[in-house]
Amino acid sequence: MEASESPPPVLGSWQRLYMFVIAELAILILLFYLFTKAFE
Amino acid sequence: MKTPDWIVLGGTLLSIVLYGLYKGRGSSNLKGYLLADRKMRWFAVALSIMATQASAVTFTSTPGQAYVDGMRFVQFYFGLPLAMVILSITAVPIYHKLGVYTAYEYLEHRFDVKTRTLTSIIFLIQRGLAVGITIYAPSLVLSVMLGWDIRLTSTLIGGIIIVYTTSGGVKAVNWTDVQQMIIIMAGMVVAFVMTIVLLPKNVGFIDALHVAGGMGRLNAIDFSFDLHSRYNFWSGLVGGLFVALAYFGTDQSQVQRYLTGASVTQSRLGLLFNGMAKVPMQFFILLIGAMVFAFFQFERPPIFFNPVEVEKVRQSEHGGQFLETEQRYNQALDRKSAAAIEYVEARKLSDEGNIAITQSKFLVASHQAEEIRAEGIKILQANDPQADTNDTNYIFLTFVMKYLPVGLVGLLFACIFAASMSSTSGELSALAACSVVDVYRRHINKEGEEKHYLLVSRLAMACWGVYAVFFAQYASRLGSLIEAVNILGSLFYGTMLAIFLIAFYLKWIGGTATFWAAFAGEIVVLCCYFFTSIPWLWYNVVGCVVVLAVAIVLQMFLAGRHGGAVFSSKAEPERVKTKSLIDFPMRLSSVPHTLESRSL
Repeated sequence: MEASESPPPVLGSWQRLYMFVIAELAILILLFYLFTKAFE
Repeated sequence: MKTPDWIVLGGTLLSIVLYGLYKGRGSSNLKGYLLADRKMRWFAVALSIMATQASAVTFTSTPGQAYVDGMRFVQFYFGLPLAMVILSITAVPIYHKLGVYTAYEYLEHRFDVKTRTLTSIIFLIQRGLAVGITIYAPSLVLSVMLGWDIRLTSTLIGGIIIVYTTSGGVKAVNWTDVQQMIIIMAGMVVAFVMTIVLLPKNVGFIDALHVAGGMGRLNAIDFSFDLHSRYNFWSGLVGGLFVALAYFGTDQSQVQRYLTGASVTQSRLGLLFNGMAKVPMQFFILLIGAMVFAFFQFERPPIFFNPVEVEKVRQSEHGGQFLETEQRYNQALDRKSAAAIEYVEARKLSDEGNIAITQSKFLVASHQAEEIRAEGIKILQANDPQADTNDTNYIFLTFVMKYLPVGLVGLLFACIFAASMSSTSGELSALAACSVVDVYRRHINKEGEEKHYLLVSRLAMACWGVYAVFFAQYASRLGSLIEAVNILGSLFYGTMLAIFLIAFYLKWIGGTATFWAAFAGEIVVLCCYFFTSIPWLWYNVVGCVVVLAVAIVLQMFLAGRHGGAVFSSKAEPERVKTKSLIDFPMRLSSVPHTLESRSL
């Protein structure tokens, strides 16, 4: 079994990958907000 | 359904079952049967997680939810990506290092056997009830399609799933999940495309969005903070985070999925992929519902989407009154359709004055139609006070059956069946794992051979399947199915989450305080459910906070009784007893791999 600190295959570190996931959520929320406003 | 639909449906289901049996062959021990030998790659873990979460309910009820209530339900999933990150940091390395079969097994390492058993039993009750609803949903589909009795269809579907999961084990479950997820997404894309293709010639996709948006169906975001609003940004982010943490971190049906990962990296990647894909996927499914709503602004929907209830009232003494109401409803729909076209035309000409006038006319026509529909529902109730007046679950199916071309109807039904099989099989395998590992092997027969436990696991899988089918017979009056599943989960998830949070982070709290705090938390949540109007999404928060607070106070009290400082290692005899385990999360690297094979 590998060590838990093995880096992910992308972005170099787990911290960056976690930030990427959170950033995607923030972008989605922004897009959904714009979507709601555009068609309300 | 026509012959090509049956061929598509039958062929898809047969391929799933055969693929499952093929992939699941050769499991000769418990690790192979319940954990797929821990050899899964991240994409299989990710798709299995997504497929297990996405039950048939997701595809029958969610579009209907958007049709009736708009897209605000998507906010419920905002906490999920955050939960995936938190679990990747905390739970995944711990579970992997210990090599546990179930999430609850870890609680014995951390606390004691009674806390493990209590949590496991809560899971067995909660998931045991939910699995019945998971089987009920596709039974509903077949009943509508074939006019069969719901009891016959649920028994038939449940029987097929039991055979397939019992023989294949988790290996079969995970690999068929991958296949099923691909079918599901293909079906959803087809449905979405068809909602656009089937619009009137002079109405485009953007026009349809304006129509749905003008009627409040594209309300994806609501930043207002209102405790009594079921879905808004805040309840979705906070409540949704708690639900997702509890579901993915403590619910064995999900934990088992990423326990099959070949390494910490594979399991983490699986969870994070789910965190990235789930919100857009749910948005997409809700958008399909909103598009179906837009479509029905130009087409005549039935006055009530449940054909069984409609037929019942037509055959009754209220039939004449209902027919007259239907005729008035159709006339109102025609006026609404004409008003919707005028509104679209006005928007195309960008004539602001006319847009406001036509929109107002459209809203009035729509309101009139809704009033007549409400009259029709009252007649249904007058005819049969026990009639199910919630037709949310039938809306999308009505669209599929009545408007999709031959072949695609079969594909969409295959999609719903695939979703049902993926979630049910995951739930059954988790229930079997808990029953055998946490209850049977831990309390009843500790010295059995591997083959014996394998046999018991297969029997447990079959027994839970039979129970689920039995429960499914009584699930028909639970309102919108997806809500029923989530409400049920929320009654227990807060308590379970708090137990795991204490286990992971509050290392100075022992098993006794946690055990009794869990009881207190569950009582408070049940009181909220029965005696208050607090929306169910907050039950998770309430349960979790109460358990945490009571556990902290109780631990202080216990520490005081034993005459020691709370945070001292001598504070409580129990803590001394479990010291090496309480400190476990901080000392992962020192945990020997032989723990995996320790006697449980």
